[in-house]
Amino acid sequence: MFSILKINTVTGETTKETDNSKEALLGGRTLSSRMVSKEVPAQCDPLGRQNKLFFCSGALAGTTASSCHRLSIGAKSPLTGGIKESNAGGILALRMAHQNLRCIVLEDAPEPDRDWKIVVIGKDKTELVDGSFLEGKGVYEKSDLLTEKFGKRAGCATIGPAAEKRLLASGLACSDPHGVCSRYAGRGGLGAVMASKRIIAMVVLDDAKVKPDYADKDEFKKGARKLITLLQENPVASKFTKYGTAAMVDICQALKVLPTRNFKHGAMDGAEKINAQAMYDTIKERGGEGRTQHACMPGCVIQCSNVYPKKDGTILCSPIEYETMALMGSNLCLTDLDAIAMMNRIANDAGVDTLDCGAAIGVAMEAGLAEFGDAKAAVRMMEEIREATPLGRILGSGVKLTAKILGVSHSPHVLGQALPAYEPRGTKGMAMTYLSTPMGADHTFGFTLRDEEDPTTKEGKVALSKKFQVIGSRMDAMGMCNFARYSVKDDMNPLLDLIKARFDVVITEEEFDDFVRETLRLEHQFNTDAGITAADYRFCESFYQEAQPETGEKIDITDQETAEARSW
Amino acid sequence: MVTLYFKLSDRAAIQIPVRQPETLGDLLERVSQETGTELGSYIAVRQGKVMARHQIVEDQDSIEIFPAISGG
Repeated sequence: MFSILKINTVTGETTKETDNSKEALLGGRTLSSRMVSKEVPAQCDPLGRQNKLFFCSGALAGTTASSCHRLSIGAKSPLTGGIKESNAGGILALRMAHQNLRCIVLEDAPEPDRDWKIVVIGKDKTELVDGSFLEGKGVYEKSDLLTEKFGKRAGCATIGPAAEKRLLASGLACSDPHGVCSRYAGRGGLGAVMASKRIIAMVVLDDAKVKPDYADKDEFKKGARKLITLLQENPVASKFTKYGTAAMVDICQALKVLPTRNFKHGAMDGAEKINAQAMYDTIKERGGEGRTQHACMPGCVIQCSNVYPKKDGTILCSPIEYETMALMGSNLCLTDLDAIAMMNRIANDAGVDTLDCGAAIGVAMEAGLAEFGDAKAAVRMMEEIREATPLGRILGSGVKLTAKILGVSHSPHVLGQALPAYEPRGTKGMAMTYLSTPMGADHTFGFTLRDEEDPTTKEGKVALSKKFQVIGSRMDAMGMCNFARYSVKDDMNPLLDLIKARFDVVITEEEFDDFVRETLRLEHQFNTDAGITAADYRFCESFYQEAQPETGEKIDITDQETAEARSW
Repeated sequence: MVTLYFKLSDRAAIQIPVRQPETLGDLLERVSQETGTELGSYIAVRQGKVMARHQIVEDQDSIEIFPAISGG
């Protein structure tokens, strides 16, 4: 029922397998993490021959349901040394569904001097074609060249020059509905994994239209309409439509958890210059190609994305997310939205994670390479990443490595992955989540902040983090957008009913959550087998020893508590 | 009087007399009923600290009400 296409990146040989399991039906992270656990030796070199790269669509991919086309990409991470699932919007999962593919696997790795190849998947054949014309080019230019060669409607995943140099913070850029590779699976260095296989792009052609064979089409239509109503009527989801994730700037500033000055502080003077309202007003005022709302994938009614224009109205960057505004803004004491947008654009072009690179620049500023608040210097450092200068290669390899090389002890990461945009001493729930995800510090993994009655206490946070690790993982587990979770947080049946109408397969809420917990258990087992120990699930010492000035809080979470939060 | 600032919202700030003792949850329920609008999930902040639903509102309080969303 569900097809898995395996491609040997050395020989070009392909095999197609079918899998009728419920895990394959769910797809998304349920499938990608199981396949990594099963097929990748945990102790292998992440950039070696034994690592594999898995692209998994979700349960409802190819249908008309809203927000269902997230693509889960899995592998062993070169950044964390553990398992990684990073997901992106865009059209690639839809194109995979049109080719009747649930999963694409890139296997093996050729000699590092082999010419770059593009994997091209069509209805009649899969082949490796010459990709050397893309070498060294930025993602925007690569995107144009891929569109020129394969058409605007092809679903592509490509890498930037940073991944070509195997920088550890490099991501994978996937096609958006306009054919631009701007939707990032940014975290964990998965771009470097694809580069290690000498694959510079993967293209799924728009030459097939396998239509979903609905078990009950009328029920599906009814269920899809119900989901739209739930999303549109949910007051939280509707806020995303107007402001996107940028709305978090004000909330985090008010709660004193806005990363500021290399995560030394939790609030920044002038935060209102880079908040959601400032961005909304700027986009509206400049007009042109600017958009305050934009769908990253076909048929999504939340439309939390945006297009940030230059002063003349032409596109500067799309999208700008809260995490980027914080890590490349407040964390560097920048109050200039245009500078943040420019840094974001360069990151997208270089093909690197904005969080890890923003955090790395924060560390570099603390090391004295530039003054906090110096926007020109911050933009210059991003250009160094794109140009792969010696400093750029260090910054583009993430915050942990940068801090070690520059001799900075306050290094904001867990398992080598930069902290997302919530200063952990002021929110012990988010701190607990950072310390207990198998992916390295990851806010989407268990977003507690909105439900913490007292963010500064650790009491009850093991249970709270675990509760939201399940809630947060549900959407990843079946390829849904994380923001749909608000509408089904207390009742997953609207989505499970869609699965029933699509496949005539019943999955109960309890069974679904069992899949989620089993995924978490497998992911942690992979990390244990990879040699990651309890001592790795910690912040650097300064978070435990130095109080954050605004809240007076230190990290007081013990190894025992984080071990409980990792126990499934 | 308590002043409520609805952040990231088209609602104007409102001032409302407090019925002592009154919890934040009760006060916001009253506001919701009087204005005929649903507040949905929210994060309330008083003097830089999160305010829980069960906490007592004091006269002259200024409280910021944010929609309870998350990052992406």
